Amino acid sequence: MALKRTPIPASLWRRIGQAVSFAFFLFLFIKTDYSGSDELTWAVNLLFRIDPFLALSAMLAVKALVALMLPAVITVVLTLVFGRFFCGWICPLGSLIDLSRHILTPVRNNLEPGKRQAKYFLLIFLLAASLFGLPLAGYLDPFSMLVRGLTFSLQPALDHAATSFFTLTYRHGPEWLNLLTEPVYALLKEYVLPFASKVYAMSVFSLVLLLAILGLVWLESRFFCRKICPLGALLALFSRFSLLRLHGGSTACGKCRHCHTVCRMAAIDDQRAIATAECILCLDCLAQCPQGRIHYGWRKGGAAEQPTDLSRRAVLASLSAGVLAPLVLPTRPLARHADPLLIRPPGALAEDEFLGRCVRCGECMKVCIGNALHSTWLEAGIEGIFSPRLVSRIGYCEYNCTLCGQVCPTGAISELTREEKHAAVIGRAYFDKNRCLPYSDGIPCIVCEEHCPTPDKAIKFRQAEVLNSRGEKISLLQPYVIAELCIGCGICENRCPLAGAAAVLVTAEGESRHAGRSQGTGY
Amino acid sequence: MDRRQFLRDVFLWSAGISLAIPRFNILPEALAAEKPQALLGLATGEDYAALVARVLTPLGGMASFVRPGDKVVVKPNIGWDRSPEQAANTHPLVVRALVVQALEAGAAKVKVFDRTCNEQRRCYANSGIESAIRELDDDRAVIEHIDPRKFVPVNISRGKSLSEWEIYKDVLECDCYINVPVAKHHGLSGLTLGLKNSMGVIGGNRGSLHHNLGQNLADLATVIRPKLTVVDATRILLRSGPQGGNVKDVKRLDTLIASPDPVAADAYATTLFALQPDTIDSTVAAYNLGLGEMDLAKIQVVSA
Repeated sequence: MALKRTPIPASLWRRIGQAVSFAFFLFLFIKTDYSGSDELTWAVNLLFRIDPFLALSAMLAVKALVALMLPAVITVVLTLVFGRFFCGWICPLGSLIDLSRHILTPVRNNLEPGKRQAKYFLLIFLLAASLFGLPLAGYLDPFSMLVRGLTFSLQPALDHAATSFFTLTYRHGPEWLNLLTEPVYALLKEYVLPFASKVYAMSVFSLVLLLAILGLVWLESRFFCRKICPLGALLALFSRFSLLRLHGGSTACGKCRHCHTVCRMAAIDDQRAIATAECILCLDCLAQCPQGRIHYGWRKGGAAEQPTDLSRRAVLASLSAGVLAPLVLPTRPLARHADPLLIRPPGALAEDEFLGRCVRCGECMKVCIGNALHSTWLEAGIEGIFSPRLVSRIGYCEYNCTLCGQVCPTGAISELTREEKHAAVIGRAYFDKNRCLPYSDGIPCIVCEEHCPTPDKAIKFRQAEVLNSRGEKISLLQPYVIAELCIGCGICENRCPLAGAAAVLVTAEGESRHAGRSQGTGY
Repeated sequence: MDRRQFLRDVFLWSAGISLAIPRFNILPEALAAEKPQALLGLATGEDYAALVARVLTPLGGMASFVRPGDKVVVKPNIGWDRSPEQAANTHPLVVRALVVQALEAGAAKVKVFDRTCNEQRRCYANSGIESAIRELDDDRAVIEHIDPRKFVPVNISRGKSLSEWEIYKDVLECDCYINVPVAKHHGLSGLTLGLKNSMGVIGGNRGSLHHNLGQNLADLATVIRPKLTVVDATRILLRSGPQGGNVKDVKRLDTLIASPDPVAADAYATTLFALQPDTIDSTVAAYNLGLGEMDLAKIQVVSA
């Protein structure tokens, strides 16, 4: 008996491709964590390293070749051959956007191309601004936005929800219930949830941004991809020249304009001409064409094409905006004095180069084993948002850990050996003697000294005779910092048992990445 | 709102109160258990597995602490992200030998854990203790990370400084709690020994205990009662404790001390650092609470 075989429609292949890519992305995301060895085996940074937009931005910013980002060339070459398949098949944010279209039905049928040039202008602005000292590329990169949303809010929120639920069942549920729930919790802990509960600065903001991008689907399908995404814009510029592309219908189609109606990118006009630059190869048109006229094949001369409609005036305007905007930066007080509480991860390059390379992917914050790295807000200026900073009161930098340098896709945080890490000074601690118990209240403490990780401790103590709060003369140990030994890891500030602010605090003073450069203009 | 609705609401909303975490009380009889015998085993040797067996011989072997079917907790110091030779954590071979001894005595389950100071996974991995237990490949021997849900508030009725603290449920519920500290220097308390090691089974803000550390440790020792304390002095950290980091601060002694009396174990271990037991506040405070013997003359030391 012969089975009748129906061929798998092309758009289903695309969906399978999206699912596989997304699953691989999630796998990499989960694996971006300490795994029992000092070296990471997998990390999401693979995804960032094939992102030509971020590669270009980082290289323009530092005016050098960033070898780590060279895999991005692969994406460009593949795009030159196959077209903008990356957006339709690979991009995990694109897949989520497609998915949210099933939840939020677009309010109107968006068949018109609209202002899709906006993304090109944004791309030109961002690249020019990067070149001239205002690196903002990571703010709008689709991967960066997605990973930040997942890292800062979605995964921790899932963890808090699951842990609360399983704590309730564990503490108050009957034995038989726990026999069911505890293995589920153990599995989640093993494969899905972060190892320890985490908190992140700017978690809500990052989530709102991500949800807003997904919510734009309500206005138009793939709104972000059509009009905003600078990576999409860059790939579109390449895909105009792609060797392979979709070839559409013709006047022979009569009144049928089905392809024009189904295109989620509004890449097919009412004359059935396909804008190759806008086409993300979702293949819906190919699968649904009643006559089977649409096909994917080698580029042909003379076929009907849509113009990209970039006016010279608008290109020049966005270019000049990118060139001129950075000029205002040196007028800020920041140009003279960096924020003393802005502590960068160990291995971070000097500030300008660090921000130039940093693509705000949030990877270092995801992998940070001590939950010490958090998003900067405006402490490093308008160009510093989402870059990593150490917040010691929330988490400290683990002495032997070098993971942040390992995941950084651009080398903004350089990869350190354990010995280099031990020698990397990110700041220095000082004591607030008005609050530190052995000084202020005559109460013994020195938890800071106990935790200080340098083999020759940077926090030492001396015996002192003081009057306690009852006026009794007592002898106790008072801690102090030896500046040359302190590396600024912040474990003292983190473990200081005082409620609220710690009595031992870390500032960026003495950080080794700026060794030899005096802060500010001074005397 | 009618009366019926009001009552319904009251019951609904007050359900939350009955869901509060139950407080744990240790019965006075258990607390007043007879003072442990001030008998102490002392052994020196380079084969740590054999050394563990030897040091327990004067105490009647592991069988006098672990009965068949017992749930056992072996609590080493895994506090720091340091390697075994840096002497900040209990030696993995000592921990493993104790687990093996307990299993051979018929333990149904032996759990190993510590609430670490550095990141948990790094401490477990780099102390060598995780792999030492995993290599046993025995379902009854498990090394687990601390589960924060298991800390329960415990009344410390005999405490002079503390009246309540959160303690790890597995320690309270096990049949035999074996405390295995590593002997080392500590800036504030002078030395960290058995009583200090029990800080690894408590919850809460441990830093705040340092204000009156000696008495606080003794108070905790009234409710955290090891049946056996084995002090690991195979190598001891002389300076820059409790973390160390420099092998120059480590002295190799190849020595183990074992005693059912937690105070005697600490008191005797103090002498390895050429110090007297009364220089360690927690030892004195625990002695004053009647938790054990600190007078070296009254401790029966048996070299094995």
